[in-house]
Amino acid sequence: MFNLPVTNIGGSELFVLEFGDIVNYFSVYTAALFAFALIFTALAIVSRPEKMVDIAFGGDAYYTKEIDPGLLRFQRFMAIACGLATLGAVVSGDVFNFTLFVSMVGITNIGIVAAYKNKHVLNAAFQYGIVAMLATVPLFGGAAIVLATTGTLSLWELYTAAVAVPLIAKIFLVLGVMGEGMAPFYIAKAEITRAQGAPFILMVHVSSLLVFLRVVEIVISM
Amino acid sequence: MTRPGLVISRISRVLSDYENLSALYALLVVGGVIIGIVTLPFIGYDDDQLYPKTLDPSSSLHPYDRGGEPFGTTDVAAQYPENSPYLGYVTAYLTPFSAFLADSTMHLGTTIVSHPGGITDEILYNTRGLDTVVETSILFVAFAIAAYLFRREE
Amino acid sequence: MDQVYVLGLLVVFAGVLIGFYALMRERDDLHRILLTDLAEILALALIALVATDLAEALILPGLVVGISELLAVSEVYLAKEDLRTPPTAPPFRIEVMESAPGIMALILVAYGIILSGFTGGAVAAVGAIFYFLCRGQNEQFAIIETVSGYAWVFWIGAFFIFMLLPAYWFFAVMIAGGAILVKVMAKMSLIGTMRGGEHV
Repeated sequence: MFNLPVTNIGGSELFVLEFGDIVNYFSVYTAALFAFALIFTALAIVSRPEKMVDIAFGGDAYYTKEIDPGLLRFQRFMAIACGLATLGAVVSGDVFNFTLFVSMVGITNIGIVAAYKNKHVLNAAFQYGIVAMLATVPLFGGAAIVLATTGTLSLWELYTAAVAVPLIAKIFLVLGVMGEGMAPFYIAKAEITRAQGAPFILMVHVSSLLVFLRVVEIVISM
Repeated sequence: MTRPGLVISRISRVLSDYENLSALYALLVVGGVIIGIVTLPFIGYDDDQLYPKTLDPSSSLHPYDRGGEPFGTTDVAAQYPENSPYLGYVTAYLTPFSAFLADSTMHLGTTIVSHPGGITDEILYNTRGLDTVVETSILFVAFAIAAYLFRREE
Repeated sequence: MDQVYVLGLLVVFAGVLIGFYALMRERDDLHRILLTDLAEILALALIALVATDLAEALILPGLVVGISELLAVSEVYLAKEDLRTPPTAPPFRIEVMESAPGIMALILVAYGIILSGFTGGAVAAVGAIFYFLCRGQNEQFAIIETVSGYAWVFWIGAFFIFMLLPAYWFFAVMIAGGAILVKVMAKMSLIGTMRGGEHV
């Protein structure tokens, strides 16, 4: 029944998952992204956090940083939730559903970094949170403009040549994903990575990279 | 901010301060919206919409009247009707109390909480159920963050 | 319809310009939260411009996402600014709260269970809050939070039964109705008791 109209980026579809109006698809491209997200989610589940060592400069004194087990549990939970959201976002076959998954990636990213007590990290997390909140405006706005101007949200319809999506909707979608995933805003991320707990912090980067790759596919195809 | 330097080093000084992050993002969006306003004449509303809204002021359910009969067939313009075998099954359903109100007053439609959302339920729980799953997951995650930060102080 | 839509879009774009320009100038963090919350309404306005039943249904997720991000970010703000002074005096202390029979809470919870679903959750939550207000809560927070989490899992599970095995819809309705009851009840009672400190 379903045939992917555009195959020049993602390749033809391998597997279709139907949830009512929302029809997710695995093409070669999205399946590769899905596999990546799956690997990193599995890593977040099984990995143990790094133990940071601070070395006093100019001497040979060093001390290991204390890692609070409660914090660890919370961060692992957030990292897994972030991985699941990424899994959903990379295979979603519906614009609005995609934007919802991307918002979930954004909010779990806030959660991963907000767990620290370090003032510097918290401040960066807060600024990031503001941007993630702001990003919902272009994100949902883009999806709404797509719906109004084409009459559908399904990527299967939007990919056909007959349906033209206005430029502003595409710009809004990309801007929204940029804000939620922080793809170009690496300043905040540099602050964030001062925090310890490497495998979970890594999830912030992986998820934003994957959703950005996905939105590029969507915007070019439609 | 006013230290001397090349233009590029001044720009990078602004960019490297994460306090400016939201301002920078707002600038990007403002730029996008200006492009949007310029291209506004090329945007048109598509009349062939999914789940179109029809208004019938004489109905007692006025803005929410979808017609059809409960547990029967109601016409619903879904994207992929073949994926939702129970489509239109609960669109017209009212609880007995709401049905009584609908019969005796003209203003049931002014409140959405007094009866099931009808078409809204159909969309949120049936055809676009995955949206609701994600939505509640977001709420759950946000709640977990807030509860964790709140509880940590104790 | 075409002209109305384009006109509406123009108005919303003007709103976005104003809102985001204000955010460009704003330096205070608390004001940034407030402005962001205002700006999110513009996203809802963009969805509402579609003016179909689908748009009506999509506003709900849009709204919920905005609220939940606000919940998380403002909690981060509180942690960041160290605004942790517990209330010095109890917010209100009424004589009836000491003497009110606990059975009232039980009645409210039971009535909520009969109502079931979202409304039932709200009624039952009032019962739970009533109980905590009168009896005081200590160490309950973590337990209710866990219960709320499991209820959420049941609800999501019911959804997937709807989507993947529609033949078992009745079973799913029962799970979903029960779980949403517990979920709404737990969350509302948590929020109701959250900022109260030791002796609400």
